Parts: sequence; structure tokens; C-alpha cells
Amino acid sequence: MADVFGDRPKGDDPAGALANWFAENLDEEAVWSDLWEGPSADEVAARLGSAPQSFLSDAVDVLALAGDVFDEVAAAAAERVKLRGTPQSCLGAALGLWLFASQELVGPFTVSLRDDFAARAVLALAFRLAPLVEPGRWLTDSERRDEAARTFLLWNGLLPRGEDHVQARSIYEMRDSVRRQGALAQALADHAHRMEVQRRLAEAKAAEAAARYAHE
Amino acid sequence: MSDDRLVLPDYVPFERVALTDEERWPALSASGRARLAEFERHPLAPAWRHHAGHRLDSDQQEAATRQLPLEDWLPRHLAPAATLPAYRNWPRPLTTLSDFPLICRENLVDDIAAFVPPGADLSRVLHGTSSGSTGAALIVPDDPDELARGFHWMRGLVGAQWAPQPPRLAVAQVVFQRQAFTYASVVPGFGEALMARLNLHLDTWSAGAEQRNAFLHHADPQVFSGSPTSLEVLLDPALVAVLRPLALISGAMTLTATLRYALETAYDCPVLDVYGLHETRPIAVSDDGGPFVLAERRVHVEVLGDDGSPVPVGELGEIVVTSGENAYLPLVRYRTGDHARLVTRHGRPALADLEGREATVFVAASGAAVPCVELTQQLQAAGARGWTVVQRDDGQTSAVIALGDCQRVAERLGLLLGRPVEVTRVGSLADLGPGKPRRYRSSAGR
Repeated sequence: MADVFGDRPKGDDPAGALANWFAENLDEEAVWSDLWEGPSADEVAARLGSAPQSFLSDAVDVLALAGDVFDEVAAAAAERVKLRGTPQSCLGAALGLWLFASQELVGPFTVSLRDDFAARAVLALAFRLAPLVEPGRWLTDSERRDEAARTFLLWNGLLPRGEDHVQARSIYEMRDSVRRQGALAQALADHAHRMEVQRRLAEAKAAEAAARYAHE
Repeated sequence: MSDDRLVLPDYVPFERVALTDEERWPALSASGRARLAEFERHPLAPAWRHHAGHRLDSDQQEAATRQLPLEDWLPRHLAPAATLPAYRNWPRPLTTLSDFPLICRENLVDDIAAFVPPGADLSRVLHGTSSGSTGAALIVPDDPDELARGFHWMRGLVGAQWAPQPPRLAVAQVVFQRQAFTYASVVPGFGEALMARLNLHLDTWSAGAEQRNAFLHHADPQVFSGSPTSLEVLLDPALVAVLRPLALISGAMTLTATLRYALETAYDCPVLDVYGLHETRPIAVSDDGGPFVLAERRVHVEVLGDDGSPVPVGELGEIVVTSGENAYLPLVRYRTGDHARLVTRHGRPALADLEGREATVFVAASGAAVPCVELTQQLQAAGARGWTVVQRDDGQTSAVIALGDCQRVAERLGLLLGRPVEVTRVGSLADLGPGKPRRYRSSAGR
């Protein structure tokens, strides 16, 4: 009897840890092509390190936090984190929300964060980084804190101040915990491939169909 | 039939114009360009709705005149196919054909990108939409090289007498439906001869049959390709009297023996019935109404039973295709939903008693014929993933749709048929029952 696609158990899915992230259907390649200059990675990392205990509690309510800080879009993202994420995801989202809230509570960054991509930045910390690196380590391990800062900046649509695209991308990819794990790196590459195919097909649709010569 | 509520966005004239002529037909000569312009602007020409080119430069056109080599193609096809993201977590080995799972249209609808090879040069990918006969709309990444090779494969079927003969149209791809893509274009690697996609439905010709027939006479196509529904229009005696095609090529739906005979008799030329799906490309061809002989292309066919095992030679089973022509969609063991018996014909594998391509025509309250493709357009636009539409002897029509907007389907089909249509919605394709997820039946007589 032949196997049928989708019917057969496929064993452990290494991409499972990133399932929530992939479900957001976000295209990293497109994000890299549309960045504004933002604060430096060190500045954001330092602000992360100053997060108050109320943002780090296991009982943190990201939905309430998002409601205090943001509009409906970010609140909807926080709702998804609360619904589908692990406690680690909620902590990750809370730290992202702290960075936005800190602009009023602590003081502005040298360059403002982008409200238009706030949800994306919070989701990246919650669904992309937190499942792989426990958020507590973002505060105790300087390399992981740098990774969290760079992840946040990228998905917030910001290029770290003082770096060009090539430098920023090179450092980000070196730090990136997804890329540093073989199976996850493969899953990420597959996801990037899906995004590219969808983008190319959308572009091709916006162009024109090609001539055809017969019916199938 | 001219209710604007039936207009679909894809068919708004020139809504999808985005390229320059140079991008559509790279390297087209000044005389070729002039001939195309003259043809498009002919006083009898229909109101074209689109532009569509082959996109190939001179070298690519020349390469497309030769079919891909067939030696050892299957193992060479399976090795890279095993690396597709779709099979990433599938147990290994994936070496021989039987190692691969069966896939179906739904798998492609759900995640087409997983079946596109990583590393493929996507800068040349084209956006194709399947109008096949197996369910929900499917976006197919088309390969411009393969489309051009497909023309030259057809040319090989017709024979050496099909050579460029400007100003005759090399091929007229004809359709018969209320709304359709129509355009004039240039055939790749064929002496800059022209082709056109023409809608024979009289609603699209402002001066009716007289204009349509006179334009076809003017274009004088060497070959017509179409579905049985559109080819049947060519039996109009006014057309039989003036057209002189080298061959007629039928596809998409079942060509009945009666219609084949009528066409052969009317035009005294070969009638070739090509079986294929957009996603697989051509699979087999029948030149005499007998079994469909497998195309001499990168296509492999299995005929399987309900449990997925091969049926004994000559017994009826589902056609499962492995296809290696489209560089962007290397399919392995694709279930077509069609059934046939695997036999031998002229020393080659062939498909006999092919089932699954019924050409159903509905009848509107006015008595007008409504080809099932028009229902398909509206059902897909309303988001249905599959359906059964049944018209009884008295013309009363009911539909069961899997997912989709029930109210919109009732409204649109009601407008098409000029009578109320009762629509029931179910939650999945499985709820439609066994068989193909897209079925039409009409016993109403015209």
C-alpha cells in the first residue's frame, strides 16, 4: 500500500519550536530591504537590562501590558502570545513591551522606536527568540542580550545605529540562535523559501500571465 | 447574461497590463512587431482583454524547439525531488518511486511553495492559475521554457507540415465562455508567427457571428486548440466553408466520438485529444479516439487502486503522474483524480477508458447553453474548495459546496442560469463524498 502525503507520522518536527513564528507568515528578506536607522544595539541592550521586576514576573499579563502601552494591533499580537505561547513567550513579549514603554518611563532612545512595527517586534521576541533562549538569559548573558536587541531592532524595522546593512546582517546572523542550530536553520531556510516563492508569485501575478497554446 | 455582478476582476480589460513589449517578446523584430500590431488592430478584431508574451530571448526560444532528453530522467528527477521542503520530515530513503508518498491537488493548494525546489531561479517564474477539473483554484508556478517547449511538442504531434506561414495565425487557442482571457501574441521559436487566444462566445463580438467568422477567416489559423465546447463552435457551416486547419487539438474535457467524427469530417484533418493537467503538463494523446498514448516527455504514469497499490495491467484505477517538465514544480506521484486502464498502444504505454473529464453544459432558463467552466469561475471566486452541481430534467439546479460563501454562490449561479439555485454548504471536501471534488451533472435538454 502506498503512503499518502500527510497521513504518515513524521517523527519529531524540529521546526515545532518555531511553529508559532512561522504561522505569522513574516518575510525576513522583505524586512531587511526596508529598514530605517534606529538606536544602536548597545543602547537597546542596555535598556533591556534595566527592565523592572514587574515585566519579568511569571505572572506577567502581556495583554494588560500591551493595552497600557499600545494600539489594537499590538494588543492583538499580545493576545496571540497569551493564547498560543509558552510562559517564556509571554516573558519575551513583556520585555519587548518594556522597550516601548521605557520611552516614557525612562526616556527616549536616541532615535524613536517604530510604532508601526511594534507588533512584529514583540512577536519576534515572543515566538522566535524566547522558545530557543529563555528570556532570563537575555539579561544575564551579554551575547544573548545583544541577540535580543538585534532581533527586536530588525523586526521593528530599524537598522542599528552606526552599522550598515552588511555589518548589521552579518552580526545578527552570527548571533541568531535559530541559525546556530542545524535542524532549526533548515526549518528557517525552508520558511524563507516559502516566503520567497509567495513573493515571486505575487510579483508575477502583478505582472502578466504568459501566453499559452493549448488547454489542459 | 450581461449582469455586471458576474464580472470577475481577472477579466477586466487590461487590468493586468504591467510589461513592455520588449519584456513580453524579447528580441522581436520590427517586422514581427508591426505584424502583431496590425493583427491586434484589425477592424474585425475582438476587444482584446489582456497582453501575454512568451518572455524568451532568442537563445531561449531556440532551446525550446528541442524537447528535454529522456535518458535516465526518472532517477535524475527523484533525487532532487527528495530534497523538496515538502518531504523534509518524511522518512528516508526517498530513492525509488515507491518510496515517495502519493500527493494530491489539496497538498499543492495548501503549500505550493514546499513543492518548489530551493535554489530554483525564481526570477523567471510565472503565475499560472489552474483551471483544471479537480477542485479549488490552484496557483501554479509556471516555467516559460516549458510553456514554449509545450508548443513545440504539439508541433511534433501535428507534423512537419506545420511550419510558419505568416500571415496565417500559427495557432488559435479558442474558448467559449462568458468571460475569458483573450490576447494576441507571438509563438516562440516559430518564425515570429502569431497566435491568439480567442473567445468564440458571441457576447464578446460586438457585431456578432458575422464579425467573429470574418475575423477567423482573416486569421486563417493553421491549428486550433480548445476544449470540446469551443471546438464544437467550429462546426458552424459558415466557418467550415472558409477555414482550413492542419489539425485540431482538443483538451481539458472528454472529446466524444461523435464530436471527433464531426470535426474530422468537417475539416478533413487530424483531431488530437490531449490529456493533461496544468500542474502536470501534457500526459498523453489520442489521435484516433482510442487509448491515450503517453507523451514522449518527462512524464511517468502509474494506475493505482483505492489502497494505493498498482492495479493489474489493464484494470481500471486512478491515474498517478510523475512529471519532470516544469522546473518549478517537479511532481512525484501526483494523484489526478482521473481513472483509466493502463494498456499498450503502438508499443507504448497508453491510457484506455479515461474517465474524469466530462464536458457538462447547463441550460439557462432562457434556453441558452452555459458551459460548466462559467460555473467554475464563480464557484472559485466565492471561495468554494469543491462542489457538486446538479441540474435536473426540468432545469431545477442545486449545488453542494465545500466551504465558500453560500449566499454569493446562490446569487451568482442564479444569475448565470436565470433561475434560483439551492445551495448547501458542507465543511470539507470529504463531506462531498468519494470521487473528484468537483462535479457537474446536467440532464436538462436544450
